Amino acid sequence: MGRLIVRRLLLVVPTLLLLSVLIFLMLGVVPGDPGRVKLGPYAPASAVAQYDHQIGYDRPLVERYGSWLGGFVVLHWGESWNTNQPVFSLTMQRLWASIQLAFVALVIIIPLAIVLGVTAALHRDGIADRIITVVSLSLTVVPEFVSGVVLIVLFVVGLKLFHFPAAPPPGSGPLTRLFYLILPAIPLMFVEMGYIARMARAGMIEALNMPYIRTATLNGLPRRRVVYGHALRNAMAPTVAVIGTQIGWLVGGLVVIERLFVYPGVGKLMADSATFKDFPVLESTVLVVAAIYMLSNLGADIIVAFLDPRVRYGR
Amino acid sequence: MTNDTPVQREYADHLLHEVLNGRMSRRELIVRASVFGLSATLVGQVLAACGSSGSSTSTTSPTASLSPKLGGTLKVAMPSPTVTVDPTTMYDTGSIAIAQMVAEYLVWVNNDLSLRPVLAAKWSPDSSAKVWTFNLRTGATFQDGKPFGADDVVATMDILLNPKTVSAALSAFQGILSQGGVVKVDDSTVEFHLDQPFADFPYIVASTNYDCLIMPKGYKVGTWQKNPVGTGAFKMTKFTAKQGATFAKNPTYWDTGKPYLDAVDVQFIEETQAQALALQSGSVDMMLSTPYQGAQALFTDPNVKVLTTPSTMMRSLHMRVDTEPFTDKRVRQALAYTLDRPAIIKNLFNDKASVGNDNVFAPLYPLSPKDVTQRAQDIAKAKQLLSDAGKSGVTMTLNVEEFEEVPQYATLLQQYAKQAGINLKLNQVTVTYWYGSGNNQPWLQAPMGITDWTFRGVPSQYFLPMYTSKGVWNSAQFKNSQFDKLAGQYDGTIDVATRKGYAKQMVEIMLDETPYIIGYWISVNRAMKQNVQGVTADPAEFIDLTTAFLA
Repeated sequence: MGRLIVRRLLLVVPTLLLLSVLIFLMLGVVPGDPGRVKLGPYAPASAVAQYDHQIGYDRPLVERYGSWLGGFVVLHWGESWNTNQPVFSLTMQRLWASIQLAFVALVIIIPLAIVLGVTAALHRDGIADRIITVVSLSLTVVPEFVSGVVLIVLFVVGLKLFHFPAAPPPGSGPLTRLFYLILPAIPLMFVEMGYIARMARAGMIEALNMPYIRTATLNGLPRRRVVYGHALRNAMAPTVAVIGTQIGWLVGGLVVIERLFVYPGVGKLMADSATFKDFPVLESTVLVVAAIYMLSNLGADIIVAFLDPRVRYGR
Repeated sequence: MTNDTPVQREYADHLLHEVLNGRMSRRELIVRASVFGLSATLVGQVLAACGSSGSSTSTTSPTASLSPKLGGTLKVAMPSPTVTVDPTTMYDTGSIAIAQMVAEYLVWVNNDLSLRPVLAAKWSPDSSAKVWTFNLRTGATFQDGKPFGADDVVATMDILLNPKTVSAALSAFQGILSQGGVVKVDDSTVEFHLDQPFADFPYIVASTNYDCLIMPKGYKVGTWQKNPVGTGAFKMTKFTAKQGATFAKNPTYWDTGKPYLDAVDVQFIEETQAQALALQSGSVDMMLSTPYQGAQALFTDPNVKVLTTPSTMMRSLHMRVDTEPFTDKRVRQALAYTLDRPAIIKNLFNDKASVGNDNVFAPLYPLSPKDVTQRAQDIAKAKQLLSDAGKSGVTMTLNVEEFEEVPQYATLLQQYAKQAGINLKLNQVTVTYWYGSGNNQPWLQAPMGITDWTFRGVPSQYFLPMYTSKGVWNSAQFKNSQFDKLAGQYDGTIDVATRKGYAKQMVEIMLDETPYIIGYWISVNRAMKQNVQGVTADPAEFIDLTTAFLA
């Protein structure tokens, strides 16, 4: 298991490196330049060229990449070309905000989805199963901006239960933060419900069909013990793997929700920096989010290995 | 006691004659009088001589029917500044609003285009309108205690007129005022020596030239966000990029007794829809600006009031007169005749817009000719024009920027054009791409496209860059020496009747040649809670909270 972890960790660095090169190349191809964004549409071309020269935008691609990389690895992430804020603290601040939102969503959805999935599997083809399957699938396909707006109109404007925008004021305690984050977390839960509950259901069904379950039942073990002591643990493996793949999206991919709820997360930062050609911020946020994706997948795989010894020792 | 100059008195006489002869309305009189800096007493005399009962609405500042209540914090939602805020170089709505809270102009343009003295107390031209004398307000100070005076005006103008500063103001000054033209006479008097006579000059140093906020002498461009300076009613106490800003009442503001509010709390929210939801949920009291698209629900919400004012914001559709298929003016006219303008306005703005007539003399401008036939939809005529030009069934590609209602406008155009047999293809592009950079600026080079224009206080600010042969933003590549001549005459003449004559001739050329289709003039909306008073909608989406209060 130790070897597995080390090997996976070693893969992270080259992957991120390759990604950073790709972003650089893509930004070189996309139209528009930072000087024009900074100075506006009225500035003459000479002024734009001067600004680009000042920030080193007109140097050859390889040279710019090299100097950027050199700074990046020692955590000198530079300043935003748009707002002059230090990129490192800006990115970390936004990342922390996104992690909090993802945490609230997961803390609620994981137990809920697993319970629903297992229930559906245990009452397979029964009414409970039908309802859970249909509802979870329907909620998954509703786009977040639709469910988000409906929720806001219902709960904020209509019932005045929640607060909008969803950014908790600085200095709020954990309970206040939780309260602010519940509403934006709900559309995320709708989307995740489908994946996690369905995977839990499928995993459970497969586990229940295993020969050893039949053996345990015939040996006289109580149903409860069979299901929760044996089948559940094995049903969790694919579920955890799915959750691992979703964490990356929940942290870095929430551009729509962040915009709608005016929540200062890292997804919106990434999208804005791409629109406004804010290169230092874009590179840093993409790499940070990519790292989260890889580490959460790794974390999920470790848990799976823990649950399933066959994975641990390499089949 | 009036200190009007002989030139001003003569002008007052002239205006009186115009009204008595029915060539000018009293409203227009008030606007023209304010541009020439006539004192209130003199204007009152003229109005009395006209037989006016003084029923003209005072639009010098937003009047409230309730008496102002002191105190409270107003929460405003607006889009975030896109870059670091600097009053001398800013160009986006968010930055402009932030800077306008803290700093002030010499002159403010009211919603009816009349002028209100702010840091300039009085102004007057010489008889040729080539030298303008501005008497500055005494007793005003910057928020750090430094007194305001002529040195600050000269220094600010120097910064704006310097090409190295890359201010948007430079293009407004072009051909009118150059470096060295601003002269200090004494601590509270400044003279502007223009390059050519310009009868509407005060607009060029007013709020409509939005970068003209007066900075203190010695101001260094780029330092404002860290050290926000100004003479305005509010001090900026906190600024968090992309999130919000807070402002506190300026206790040493020159207009004693104002502002009424204790504080203003600005939240940066990008999407119109999210701003509308924030207003409905009560987390903000006011939206800076409320476009119809995205905030439809607010217009029927009983807890929200939406103030509207006509504006000179518009979208121009240019057709390069030097490129096929637009070289024949009949093709350009044909497309113009396919538009059902009232239907477009109903669809895009729920009627909160005025019909455009393919020329830049908007209905709001006092000197716009009122007796020109309004172009209406005429599919038969469009088809006839096309066949006369030998271009029936022509194909055109329209570049459409993804900005507010422009994509929907283009879709409507496509449907209308089809009725006349025109095959209009749409090419949707981002705003960044459209305005481009360096040698690649599609909005100035593409054969056909739609460009968005924000509010302009005088038509010259449109026709000079767009229609004259030397115009810097002449996307249609329109070159007409007769038009150039009329443009110079219009700007250089003081006599109102003569100017109107030139205006009408210019409109006729613009209609005949149709290098641009201008389908509508957008009215600006501002949504707020019912208890917000002392604020009006602003045609340029500018903000002035000096007289705002919470009932």
